[in-house]
Amino acid sequence: MHSVGYWLSRCVSGVFVLLIKAYKLCVSPFLGQNCRFEPGCSTYGLLAIRQHGPWRGGYLTVRRICRCHPWSKGGIDYPPPPDSA
Amino acid sequence: MKRKLILVRRKTGTRPMDIKRIIAATILSGLILIGFDYFMPKPAPATHAPAQIAATPPVSSQSSLASTDAAQNAAPAVAARRLTVRSPDVQGSITLKGALLDDLVLTKYRETLAKDSPLVRLLSAPGSAAPSYVVIGWENAPGSNAALPELNTVWQSNDDALDPTHPVTMHWDNGQGQVFIIRLSIDSHYVIAVQQTVENHGTTPVSLIPYQRVQRDYEAQGGSWTEHEGPVSVMDGRLNDESYKNLRDAATHPDHTYWAKNGTGGWVGLSDKYWLTAVLAESTAPVSASFGFVPGLPGTAGSYRVGFTAQSAQTIMPNGSISMNSHIFAGAKVVDLLQSYSRDLHVPDLDKAIDFGWFSFLTRPILTLLHWLYVHLGNFGLALMALTLIVKIILFPLAAKASASSGRMRLLAPKIQEIRERHKDDPMAANQKVMALYKEEGVSPASGCLPMLIQAPIFFCLYKMLYISIDERHAPFFGWIHDLSIPDPTNIFNLFGLLPFDPTAYISMLHVSVWGTALGITFWLLQRQTTVTMDPAQARIMQFMPLVYVFFMSSFPASLLVYYTWNNLLTFAQQAFIQSRTTLPVPVTTAKKGR
Repeated sequence: MHSVGYWLSRCVSGVFVLLIKAYKLCVSPFLGQNCRFEPGCSTYGLLAIRQHGPWRGGYLTVRRICRCHPWSKGGIDYPPPPDSA
Repeated sequence: MKRKLILVRRKTGTRPMDIKRIIAATILSGLILIGFDYFMPKPAPATHAPAQIAATPPVSSQSSLASTDAAQNAAPAVAARRLTVRSPDVQGSITLKGALLDDLVLTKYRETLAKDSPLVRLLSAPGSAAPSYVVIGWENAPGSNAALPELNTVWQSNDDALDPTHPVTMHWDNGQGQVFIIRLSIDSHYVIAVQQTVENHGTTPVSLIPYQRVQRDYEAQGGSWTEHEGPVSVMDGRLNDESYKNLRDAATHPDHTYWAKNGTGGWVGLSDKYWLTAVLAESTAPVSASFGFVPGLPGTAGSYRVGFTAQSAQTIMPNGSISMNSHIFAGAKVVDLLQSYSRDLHVPDLDKAIDFGWFSFLTRPILTLLHWLYVHLGNFGLALMALTLIVKIILFPLAAKASASSGRMRLLAPKIQEIRERHKDDPMAANQKVMALYKEEGVSPASGCLPMLIQAPIFFCLYKMLYISIDERHAPFFGWIHDLSIPDPTNIFNLFGLLPFDPTAYISMLHVSVWGTALGITFWLLQRQTTVTMDPAQARIMQFMPLVYVFFMSSFPASLLVYYTWNNLLTFAQQAFIQSRTTLPVPVTTAKKGR
């Protein structure tokens, strides 16, 4: 049996992943390439949530989006490996 | 099996990633075009009563119905006298039968663009096609059983007309010693001040609860996902809005009440897209606001009722009298007018009758600015263009930064092409190599995700604003655009009206207007100018975007197309300006080649 916390984070992960995928499919093609990083912010979000769960993953994603502005250097940027937490 | 298939495809040189994306984009475009049609608010068939409704209600033949509610349908044959209402902005009448304000048109607004079009009708008598009226009355407190004025009570008055210089007084003696008095005065716009008084000339005290309400006795519709229409109220600083549909659920509730709230002062009303009919409580009065729906007899629409009652009963001693003051607002939702009423009458946030939406903190100032520009430029389209220019200037530093960067990118294009060729089979790897190159050269392809996310609410606000701005209603622009608030009527599929049929009657998607085409062209121009080297599959999808936009946008209000086209042109000019002024440092790669 899994705890309530486990199911809660599974559900929230599912919602986040669904939102990001919907964005990638429906919105992103209309906006063109905007991200200064590789992988793009939405892919980063999917990776981060898969590796770190919804809370830390979500936080990492928000941080990444905030870094993605015209004055940032950009470049290759993956979520930190899970054990570094 | 799947792997094998991919391998085969790779051999033939088509990349499965590409195909997947192209298919996705195609399906998506289709879905958007179809889905859009579904979500797009349809130009509503006039929700108002046709203006030719006779001012006096037709006499109903049913007269055996005893219940109080039915009594209003069974109008007695006596035609009661009417008091004329005349002010610069409204005209209509008050019927002495029930003392109802049930006939009001707005003199500054017409139903359609035609010069002889009827004026917009806000209030209409019981028994007409779309009854909508304001009721001032009293209820008995528990234990009290005074005879009260009802909807078919015939009131007396010595006055003939209500205008800004002449208030009117109506009175009714219930024959048991109580005299009910309603005194009305009107200002030069949309507000009528109400004073309702009971004088007790009897020998025992009476306990009464005064009320004011707005009532609609027809199948009211309205509202869409972009803009609210229906019951709305601000009580204790909090906005409450509901749909007519929700209110119909109240049919089965106790007292037919869907929502109620106690507070000190406030306002309650029924809101249309551009108009509001509301009752406003005195700022110090303890009142109880409510939304309700009273179901009608089978076959009739029932009645939506929103309004106030006093929180506690007023006990009127023999030889005493008690008054309650309130106001009626019936008119157009002009922002600064609503705001000035809020100030002068101490009514909280009357301007919230305009559905500013989630981003009201942004929509409100933009709407104010747009209105100011409209007043000074005299044309809504020009005002919108000026507003766009201002927004562009504010966001210029952001754009300059991004543009300069993309100018330098141009020089890297051949190098990137080379990388893409080399990593044809692995787009991920290619992207990474390209990114590494950008980093090495100190350039970046795009302005980033954050500015894009910031711009999304601005666009949303503009979109929202174009739906709620009353300045835009019937606002003409150049040429064939006579009303910016509806889609551009021209259509390429009937050669701009040369062929005598309407393609949208068959398939609503078949609409490509002149402004829609202009938008597509500017979008295409902009794309050619700014497109940076990207993954080829994506580039191919992007090439179709202008075409998708043309279809997608043609059914939007013309104002939005004017805005978008103008915005594209400005962006185009801005980019050209920045690029011509950016002195490019010699990039590392060309320097190396030079050596």
